[in-house]
Amino acid sequence: MKLSFTRRGLLAGSTAALVTPSILRAQPAEIAIGSLTPNTGGGGPFGPNITASHKRVVDAVNASGGVLDQQIRLFQENSETNPETAVRAADKLINVNQVLGIIGTWSSSVTLGIMPKCQSANVIQMCTSSSADIPVADKKGLVFNFQPLSPIWGRAIANLAKGRGIEKYAMMALNNDFTRSMMDGFIEVVGKDALVQEPFYYNAGQSSYRSEVTQLISQNPEAVFIPSYVADFTAVYKEIFRQGYEGTVITTSLSTGNQFKDAVGAAADGVIHGFPVPAINSPAYKEYLGEAGLEDTGSVQHPFGTAGRDQMSTLLLAIEKAGSTDRAAIAKAVWDVTTGEGKETVYNVADGLAALRAGKEINYSGASGSTEFDEEGMVLGRDFQLSEIKDGKDVVLERLEF
Amino acid sequence: MSAYLISMGTYIGFFMILALALNLQWGITGMVNFGVAGFYALGAYASGLLTTKLGVPVGLAIPAACLVGMLVGGCVALLSMRLREDFLAIVTLGVGEVIRLIVLNEDRITEGPRGLRIEAQPFRDFVSAENYPLFYLFFVAVFVCLTFFVCERIRKSPMGRTLRAIREDDVVAGVLGKNVLRHRIQIFAVGTFFMGLAGALYAHYTQNISPEVFLPMVAMFIWMSVIVGGAGNNRGILIGAGAVMVFLEGTRFIGDFVDILDAEKMSALRIIMIGLLLIVTLRIRPRGLLPETKFQFKPN
Repeated sequence: MKLSFTRRGLLAGSTAALVTPSILRAQPAEIAIGSLTPNTGGGGPFGPNITASHKRVVDAVNASGGVLDQQIRLFQENSETNPETAVRAADKLINVNQVLGIIGTWSSSVTLGIMPKCQSANVIQMCTSSSADIPVADKKGLVFNFQPLSPIWGRAIANLAKGRGIEKYAMMALNNDFTRSMMDGFIEVVGKDALVQEPFYYNAGQSSYRSEVTQLISQNPEAVFIPSYVADFTAVYKEIFRQGYEGTVITTSLSTGNQFKDAVGAAADGVIHGFPVPAINSPAYKEYLGEAGLEDTGSVQHPFGTAGRDQMSTLLLAIEKAGSTDRAAIAKAVWDVTTGEGKETVYNVADGLAALRAGKEINYSGASGSTEFDEEGMVLGRDFQLSEIKDGKDVVLERLEF
Repeated sequence: MSAYLISMGTYIGFFMILALALNLQWGITGMVNFGVAGFYALGAYASGLLTTKLGVPVGLAIPAACLVGMLVGGCVALLSMRLREDFLAIVTLGVGEVIRLIVLNEDRITEGPRGLRIEAQPFRDFVSAENYPLFYLFFVAVFVCLTFFVCERIRKSPMGRTLRAIREDDVVAGVLGKNVLRHRIQIFAVGTFFMGLAGALYAHYTQNISPEVFLPMVAMFIWMSVIVGGAGNNRGILIGAGAVMVFLEGTRFIGDFVDILDAEKMSALRIIMIGLLLIVTLRIRPRGLLPETKFQFKPN
């Protein structure tokens, strides 16, 4: 087939190209917000819940008249949990869709990767990332993290493990910023003397982890701690089981979801795992379950979906509080609507907007837990839960409440 | 929108340099290089580390990154001198991964998985923040032109004919007295020189690089650019790089108009559409959008 270009075709194409931007941009009576979530890749198990939460909040607010008498236009993009793709997606959100905030990033490398572009365009970021570099790289006070930094995870898991009387550990971690920092936090609490050998790192996507596991259990430690993600932990755990290790295996709950349990079956029993969890007794969490169509099982569901609800709710409340779409004013207003005492506590965006319009000061308490932020925009605290897999189900061993 | 087009133009520039370099190695000489992402990373980290850790001016760091790319590329070509086609493909794929894993694990030097933040940008003090993206687009465009000029000169020169002869049958080229080994090493090193250049330009543009940026998928995009554009034709390569970026980015806009699919399904559909566009393009133009022209003997 011969490909030919005609002047008429060129004219039609050029006209389409010139007209398109006006369609893609949010219209004057709309406030544009970008959602950049990990719908595929390493964060694939969590991204869709975050995306759905963002959309539910926006739909509810738009149905009741919007914010500042303007509708919210949500532009959703998939980061693919890859910073290279995410930077280009952020470019589109910032320059074409002209969003005032990009929320929902999960991987630290994605959050940090898009940060230079967001900072130069004064775009607010809301994430559930854990790198300790995030507050350092944020020069303009535009970044809000809805998840504790990973050293805090490490310290919390270590405290809970110590409380169970475990004294000697061996450790290996997936080689990324999240897990490495978590390992550092763990060692801070248990102390170097509690380690039977030097901790080490492994790379994701290996076809076999036999030599790593052999090294890990060579001193027959009482427990092994393996900060990881579900794909690599599943392969590592199969090797641990194959080599007949009888001690305690400790990891993060991110690694022990249904994907892991389905893959290893009954062999999953006995694995101990922990992570920051929503306050499951809070009214906001109960409301979230209803919104997401989930039954209240008493156990933690959608830990990142709840954070997605809180990100969007916080941002919309801050816009209403700021009274304008000025990004610096909105960023400042985030603290106003989430942090501080003596204010009216609200658990959803509708009540928050009503209270703000009535001239009240509010403190939004989220489905993922408290959304109080320190001066660097990092969430101040989260409940933390240690569970054990028994008969293929998570049984809560202990819970630290914030 | 113009800021977005400027940004995408800059990314297309990186793709063009990488694709021209790969075309030199594979399209013209027939040397399969699946390690494009590794050499891209090498240039990015060489320039980034020189400026951030050693305080080397960016004007020196970028050429140094090119030289690092060339040296490593030359060594790889030398070590794999007896390998051809699929064997060379495996070696280069391995080299690319080795480079990425070194960057990932030598965190005392490279910052490892935390990623490297790079402040330095070329001519940053002379251009306002507002105009800098446009300036950088022109800056990259200059290097695209230079790369194109060098690649085109090589293609048209007597050396270019030798390279094509090596591509078609290196034994015949050797029998005719051509130094096949020397040509292969030279051209592989020149190609990796330009890959290092693309990496350095990318690093100073995004100002934040991490090993996750340089996954083998990047190499696949560059291979797609060469195949879609027309292997062996440098002009076609420029079109191919642009077309692949249009496929990658253009499909993003569908989600802004289609509300019936949620974001998860939309992102999966997007990947399928990119594949379909490639298949359709190659079905219509099997030798690429602008195929290599056959040289004909024209007696005076």
